[in-house]
Order: sequence, then C-alpha cells, then structure tokens
Amino acid sequence: MTSRRTLAITACALTAGLALAACSSSSTSSSPGGSSSSAGTGASAGNASFNAGVTGVVNPSTKKGGTLTFANSSTPDSFDGGNEYYAWTLNFNRLYQTPLTTYKSCPGACANTLVPGIATALGTVSSNGLVWTYHIKQGLKYEDGSPVTAQDVKYAVERTYDRGVLANGPSYFQVLLADPKYPGPYKDKTGDLTSVTTPDNYTIQFHLTAPFPDFNYVVAFPQTAPVPKAKDTGSNYQLHPMSTGPYMFSSVQLNKQATLVPNPNWTQNEDTEARQLPSKIVIDLNVNAEDIDNRLLAGDIQVDSQGAGVQAAARAKLLSTPSLQKNTDAAPGNRLWFVYINSKVAPLNNVNCRQAVEYAANKTDLQTAYGGPYAGGAIGSTLLLPGMGGFTPFDLYNAKSQPTGDLTKAKAALTACGHASGFTTGAAYRSDRPKEVAGATALQAALGRVGITLQLHGYPAGSYYTNFAGAPNYVHQHNLGIDFGGWAPDWPDGYGMLDALVNGNAITPTGNANVGELNDSTVNSLFTKATTPSYTVAQQSAIFGQIDRAAMAQAVILPEVYAKVLLYRPPTLTNVYSYSPWGMYNYAVLGVSG
Amino acid sequence: MIAFVIRRLLTTIFLLIVVSMITFGIFFLIPRLAGQNSAELAAQYVGRNPTMSAILQMEAKLGLNDPLVVQYWRFLKGIVVGAHYDSGPSQTFCAPPCFGYSFRTQQPVWPQMMAALPVTISLAAGAALIWLTTGVSIGVLSALKRGTVVDRFSMAIALAGVSLPIFFTGLLSLELFSYKWPLFPNDQYVAITANPLLWARNLVLPWITLAFLYAALYARLTRASMLETMSEDYIRTARAKGLPERTVIARHGLRPALTPILTIFGMDLGLLLGGAILTETTFSLPGLGQFTVLAIQNQDFPEIMGVVMLAAFFIVIANLVVDILYAVVDPRVRISLWPCWRSATCTCSSGPTTAWSRPWTGSRSTWSEAARSASSVSPAPARA
Repeated sequence: MTSRRTLAITACALTAGLALAACSSSSTSSSPGGSSSSAGTGASAGNASFNAGVTGVVNPSTKKGGTLTFANSSTPDSFDGGNEYYAWTLNFNRLYQTPLTTYKSCPGACANTLVPGIATALGTVSSNGLVWTYHIKQGLKYEDGSPVTAQDVKYAVERTYDRGVLANGPSYFQVLLADPKYPGPYKDKTGDLTSVTTPDNYTIQFHLTAPFPDFNYVVAFPQTAPVPKAKDTGSNYQLHPMSTGPYMFSSVQLNKQATLVPNPNWTQNEDTEARQLPSKIVIDLNVNAEDIDNRLLAGDIQVDSQGAGVQAAARAKLLSTPSLQKNTDAAPGNRLWFVYINSKVAPLNNVNCRQAVEYAANKTDLQTAYGGPYAGGAIGSTLLLPGMGGFTPFDLYNAKSQPTGDLTKAKAALTACGHASGFTTGAAYRSDRPKEVAGATALQAALGRVGITLQLHGYPAGSYYTNFAGAPNYVHQHNLGIDFGGWAPDWPDGYGMLDALVNGNAITPTGNANVGELNDSTVNSLFTKATTPSYTVAQQSAIFGQIDRAAMAQAVILPEVYAKVLLYRPPTLTNVYSYSPWGMYNYAVLGVSG
Repeated sequence: MIAFVIRRLLTTIFLLIVVSMITFGIFFLIPRLAGQNSAELAAQYVGRNPTMSAILQMEAKLGLNDPLVVQYWRFLKGIVVGAHYDSGPSQTFCAPPCFGYSFRTQQPVWPQMMAALPVTISLAAGAALIWLTTGVSIGVLSALKRGTVVDRFSMAIALAGVSLPIFFTGLLSLELFSYKWPLFPNDQYVAITANPLLWARNLVLPWITLAFLYAALYARLTRASMLETMSEDYIRTARAKGLPERTVIARHGLRPALTPILTIFGMDLGLLLGGAILTETTFSLPGLGQFTVLAIQNQDFPEIMGVVMLAAFFIVIANLVVDILYAVVDPRVRISLWPCWRSATCTCSSGPTTAWSRPWTGSRSTWSEAARSASSVSPAPARA
C-alpha cells in the first residue's frame, strides 16, 4: 500500500512538474483577449505599433533578397488560378499570376479599388451593357519568355468551363456569358467559346446575356490569368502554372511544400501592384496551427498564409505582451459572421417572430464566442461591411445600444407574432468549428430568456451548405429555423456581399447561400435596378444600401460580428499591411529584412 | 513453414477485400441509405455556389452516378490492373496498384501515399528503436530491483508516459526544445537521402515523444513479464546448478519474457506504419497520419479508402511477420506450425524442450493465435 502511495505521489509530482514547465514560457500572459486599455498602448519600434498595419504600411522597404516563408495549416484548393476560390489562395496567386484586372495594393479601404492587371485599363462596356472589352498590355511574357496574347486569356476562361477537371473556381462566366452549355476545350476540342472573342492578339471581348456592371470584378479572379494552350496539363497544371507574376514555381509537393523563385521575365513597370523582393518564397503546407504561431513568434516563418488569425494561446500572448503587441494587427477580416433566420420555417415565417430573435440575441456573448472584439470582431448590425460601397450605419434591433439583448422589444415582437410564451425551433451549426459551437450555445441561452427554445444540431462543415443548411428541402423537413453562417464577398461591393445572401433569384436546391430564403419582391427588384448599365458606381452603391436596410427589416439574418483577425507580423517582415479584398496581409508586396 | 506463410498471405488478401468492402460501404452505401443522392455527393467537390451543370459534370467525372457495384468493381480493378483517368487535355494512366484519384486534388492517391510513407516509416522506426531498448531495459531493471527506489521511480516515469497524451508531451517538448531553447528547431521534414543529419535532427523530438508513450507501456509489460518468469521453478533450478546470475537473467529469464513483447511490438509497429496521427499532427510531419487527417477533413473518399487499405495491410503483415518470428524464437510454436513428421526432433506430446520458452501467460486480446496456443504449454526443466 505504501509503495503504491509513493508511486502515485511521485507520478503526480512528475506530472505537475511537467505541466508547470509547459506553462513557464507563457508566464507573462494575462487574460485571453486582452483589455481594451492595453490593446492600443504597445511600445513602438520604428513604425511598428498595435494596429499599425491596419491603416498604414509597416516596415516599408525596397530591400531585395532573403527567403520569405509562409506556412499553412491545410492545403490550397489549387495553385492553378483557374481552380481557386479560397481567399488566401487568391491572395497568394498574385505572386505568380496576373488576371485582367486586380486590386490596388494599398492599406485600408483604398484596396477595394480595381486597377488594370494584364489589361491596359479597366474594361469598357457597350452602351447596352452586354459587351465588355479589354486590351492587353503588349510585351508581356510568361516565365519561359513566350508572349502573352488575348487568345491565352480566352483559353484560360474556356478551360474553367470543364468543371469535372477544374471544379473549385467560381461560376460567374458560366452564368453571365452567352453559351453556358459549352463543355470546355478538353471535351470539345474543335469547338469554341463563342461568347468570348479576340478581334486581335491584344483585345478580348466578353458577350454577356444581360448587363452586369460588376464585370470588372469578375475578371479580377485568376480565371482570367493567361494560360498557354500548349502548356495546359489540365488537373496537373496546378503543379506548375505558367507564371506571369513576379515569381514562378520551382517545385510543388502536394500537401507538403512549394517553392517559388523570381520570374526573370516579369517587369515591375508592367505590374505596379506587386513586388519582387525576396530571392525565394517557400510555403510549408499542413503545418499544425499552434506550431505556425510558435514559428511566427520565433521568427522561423514570416506569414501564416491562411490569414485567419492566430490561435487562442498565441492570442493571449500577443495581446498581453507589449513587445509582441506592437507587431500585432486586429485587422478587418472582410467577412460577416451571422445567423440565418429562415423565413419558411414556422413560426419564423412570421416576420415578428424573426424580429423577436433579432432583439433577444445577446450580441456581446456572440462576439465573445467568436473571439472577442480583437480576434472576433465588432458587433454587427448591417449586412454590408464597414468601408464597403453603400455601407450606411444603422441599427434596427438595438444591437449596439443594447448589445446584451432588448428583451422588452423581443417579448413584444413575440406577442405580435402570436407566440407570447415563445416557441421551439431547430438550430444548425458547423460542429467542427469551435467558434460556431460556442455561438450556438450562447444564442440558445439568450433566446431561452424569452421562451424561444433552440434544439441544436451540429453538421460537418464540408457538406454544411451542400447537404444541410444550404439545402432548403432539408431545412424545411428538419425544422431548422436558425442556421449559423458567414459570408466573405467575392468582391468588395454591395453585389458581392448581398446577392447570394438575400436575392430571391439566388435560391438554389443545394449549395444555397440565401438560407433565410428571402424572396421579397422589393429586394429582388432593387437587385435588378442595380444592374442598370447607365448607373454610376455611386448610384449602384446607394441601391445596395437600400437593399441592406430592406433585408434587415425582414430579419432573415442576425448579424453577429464584422469579422476581425488577429495577425502577427514578425519584425523582419517588410511592406506589411492589411489588405481589405482578402482580409489579410497583401502577399504580393511582402519582403524580408535581416 | 512455406505453406503457413502462403496460407496467411491468402488470408491477408481475403481480409483486405473484406476491409475494402466495409470501407467502401461506409462511405458510399451508407450516405445513399440515408437519402443522399449522387448529385448531392458530387456537390461537395464543386467549390462554392456551384451551378447544376457543374455538379452534373463532377458527378459524371467521379462516376458517382454508376451503380455501387460498378463503382466498387472499378476500384478493385484499378488496384489490380490500373485505370485511365481524364486529366483534361489527355487521359492519364494510373498504374497498379491504383487506388483511384483524389476527389479534391485530382491527383492519383497511390503516389501521394507513397510520398508520405517514408516520413511515417522514419518516425515509426526511430521511435520503435528507442522505446524497445529503453522500455525493455527499464522493465528488466525495475523487475530485478523490485520494491527499491529505482523500481518505484521507473514505474512513476512509466505511469507518466502512459498517462500523458502525445499532444501534451509533444507540445511541451516543442515549447522547451524548439522555441525556448532551440536545440531541435521544428523545421520542415527533410528526407534521409537529402540530408541524414538534418533528417535525424528534425525527428529527435517526435521520436522521443512517441517513444515516451510506448517505452512506458513496454517497461510495465516487461517488468510484469520478468517478475513472473523469474519466479518460475526453472530459474531456481538454473541458479541451483550454479549458473552465473547474468546468464540466468539474460538467457533463462529475459528471453521467455520477451516473446509477448515481440508480439505486441509487431502489432504496435503495424499500427504506427498506418499513420501516427497525433505525433505527425503535433510535429507537422507530412506522413500517412497527416494524410489521413486531411483526407477525412476533405471527405476525400478515395484517399480515405487508400489509407485504410494500406493501414490494414501493414497490420496484417506485421502480424504475419510476428507469427513467423515467434516460431523462430519459440520451438513450441514451430511445433504447432510444422507437422510433426517434418521435424526429426519433434515430440508432439511432450511439448517444448527449452527452458527459456516459457511464454507470457497474461491476457491481451491482440495476441496472435500462435502466442495464445504457446501459452498453454507448461514449462520444462532448465537446460544446463
């Protein structure tokens, strides 16, 4: 007995010792999330200070050389520009491919401005709004020195029609252009995508079926980065896409690592939005997320390419240690986290019941669930993100004035709805996303205060939109009146943010993003009105502002937070700033010092 | 022996077919039984907001609209004779054993697994060497010094090793030896052929972390086995005959104590070769374990099928090798494997004739049948 006791004591002591040792390196940490008073007062060295990268360029430099190392906790959807849709891969793509148009390289909302990529200027549209014309810069070359032509851009668009081979990219061309049945050049080897024409080697025209004022944004996707037909290897093209950007691939090991080196045929004069500073770029894939943070803090790597912010342990360190805090940015994440309120599931088919949910929700708890004000984001009250065209602050449900919930108005809304004592409905969330799990639990508690009972149902993220929350039939059959979600716009304007979320014409049987199933004639007509070819950007933005307010009045979406991500920039990283189109640092201009 | 091996290999093939059927059923049949159609399945692999024509194209490309039997036959056929896949501009031949194409990366599964395998082998082999030597040594020492401070301290360490999860000890070792004192920076894995020193340096912490867990188990197991063996009559007889204590321990005590260790070692190594998920994830090693995690996260069924089959293969083969080795080190097992008429020294009714062949008699369900049958045989007098 004595020996057992001794053994147990020794084991306990050993375990405790190890645990203490594990904690010793973070002994300077205080409360996770930090306090608002400490978060803006970090010591400065040079121009490095807390949030300095949100509004300005940190460590501006033209120094060449060094190795810039990225790491990612997962793998890219592809390195082939025709097959990319992740925000970070679109951002990373600018290092080696250039589309017709691109986003201006500058901090803050300035980056929402489109500028020419390989085109000489932004597209010009015909008077009827149906034909968009782009002229391609002459003298551009691929990494092997061969010239870039308009036919290569057309071919790049054509190949995206074969969704069996290039499955991941957006579908705008198939939706907007005149011949949606075209199967792509792999299956139709003699045919042609007739809705894209090339009058000469440096001119390309897109023929649309209906006016679409945002077409310049569509061609900013790397689906328009030129692809020489002779070099296209289909699904294997991701192993070595032909570069037109400042860097080119020297090796790609799927799931492991990729290495890029400077493209000798790229010129700064023709591509002012990117830089060619490091002499080598490495991206390590499938690296443990916590390990990425540790490597960042140790200076072994420079960028977490996912751009989604550090993990909880590093977050605490960054916000409580002044020497680290000054190299930290709580940057806008270009995303809205929210809760859909389905307008077809009873009793939420009554707008008063939906408004009761809006009023009763505890927005502070939801903000905490997503990581607090720095790593989660600011409490939201609109669908449009701050800084986006058409954004006008308003607060229909007192989210900001009474962030813990307006229970009086919630109860009044429930009475008006005919369910004064509350009701029961299902709530769907992605069970493999801890923040969403915490959000669901927080909302369940908050709504319980007014008698609304949520029955929580977790689903896998991978099939959440295809099979569950994004499948209206499933939602109706399983009474999922509440569905957690989030949206990062494909481009930073009202259409990119709102069309998929609240346009009744965008409801689809699977992969549906209008989970609230708002099909309101007023909102729908406003979307149609916004496509009027003669409208200016300001007029269109004003319409999107109206749509925002009209959709919020229908209460089909409960905004949680305008997302923020807590990013760490090692002191050796140069030209660092938060880039609003992707909600992370601008990878096309980074350099390293030392 | 050859007949035994052939019989076991045939059993292995049968077992792998059963595993493939079960795995295939889990990922392709059960969703259908739950009401999911092939278009809904295909929709998971067509990016965000896909058009219906895109979903149908993917459904056709992946062959999900074919009957399940056809899909399964295609899978088996690919393993045996290879398969052709549409990579866009041309048809690509996937040479046997072709485990299909990834639904996500559109790349053949087999080369990806083979690229990950050396990492897992490097991890498992190095860790196995460490845990086997340290675990057995500590176990023997602890048994011989039973009740002393050495015994208690060793078992306390072993208890900690068994109790602490790998993601804790792994992160702790990284924090201490990669970041606080960067003796072993957690750099990207380097192949042994590229730079042996860097290969070893990058694997030191994963080896030790993984070995810590297993060494603890093996120490406890060895200790128990040694204690039992050393209390046997034939040990007393060996001592009475005047054999040096070192000979008694090493030859008559340790060898029979090691036979169950060998069995379990084979099982453990087979399991690890299928992917040390926690260790590889903690240390960001791009091996089969990480490949498995990624395949599951992506719901990439061909990759999941491939890795399950490979893991099953390793476990079955490891079992087979252990059984053969068992027969080599333990004559009584040889007796059960070889017909009596083929062995001139065989005495079927009298059992084994060696003193060191007393096997482990404890219960562990994963032991092979050979080990279990051997355990029922009584020990014979010591050989002088």
